[in-house]
Amino acid sequence: MGTLFITVREALRYKGREGQWLWALHRISGLGILFYLIIHVYDMSLAYFNVPVHEEMIALFKTPLFSVLELALAALLIFHAVNGVRVAILDLRPEMWANQQKVTRISLIVTAILAAPTIVIMIIYTLNANFGPVASAVGR
Amino acid sequence: MSSTDSVATNNPQMARHIARNSIKPRNTFERVAWLFMRYSGLVLVFLALSHWGLQHVFNSVHDLTLQVTIDRWGAAGQVATIQIWFWRAYYAVLLGLAMIHGLNGLRQVLWDYFHYRPLYWGFMGLSTLLIVFVSVSGIAVLFLGVNAAAAGAAVIR
Repeated sequence: MGTLFITVREALRYKGREGQWLWALHRISGLGILFYLIIHVYDMSLAYFNVPVHEEMIALFKTPLFSVLELALAALLIFHAVNGVRVAILDLRPEMWANQQKVTRISLIVTAILAAPTIVIMIIYTLNANFGPVASAVGR
Repeated sequence: MSSTDSVATNNPQMARHIARNSIKPRNTFERVAWLFMRYSGLVLVFLALSHWGLQHVFNSVHDLTLQVTIDRWGAAGQVATIQIWFWRAYYAVLLGLAMIHGLNGLRQVLWDYFHYRPLYWGFMGLSTLLIVFVSVSGIAVLFLGVNAAAAGAAVIR
């Protein structure tokens, strides 16, 4: 616990700017995605091993609480993918390190461009499922 | 040596060439793990985002029923079509790469914050057991097919 406290305090004090914040967010989003991945694969494996529980879990994932969590998962997944590509490209092309801040900004902009329509479409699906077809353009 | 130094300082392209060809990396565990994170990550960008798009963007997750899963993975005890074998391979690769990628990421994070090493090894051991168990179950259901016979009245069509 002491280590965790020191880690959080020093992470807030260290002036690593964008690169440091993206590094921290990459770790947090990775852990969040892994947590969901384990639950998700376990749930899907029950489609053979215990079908009633599998169907109950699928029904649980359609409730409003999980629909909201799903939006966060979408943002984390897209961010982790785009930022991971940034990290891989910078590792393989060290000459781009001179433009760190520009590359950082590009990765955030690409994340926003991909995440914004995704989240809007998911919100419309969830509204349609809970309150009837509120936006028929995207719904069925 | 001094002649290459002066060439390197004058020519960034030559400097890169020398740097890349004069270091002979050994295939240590950490190097393989580092390379795996890059290459699996680049593959996962396509696999994970296409899976996400298929389930949450181009289809509503609220329309997901057991029948959709049966159409994709096949029903237990039935002969699988080519299409079903494609989806089984797609999800097996996605599942395997994502789980190893995630386990290695977890290893790096735990190593950084769990300085009391018995705690690190305990946490890492439990996580590895859990991830292996879940992965084997997940791969198993892909190739066994959905147990449609055990489903309730939800499956009609």
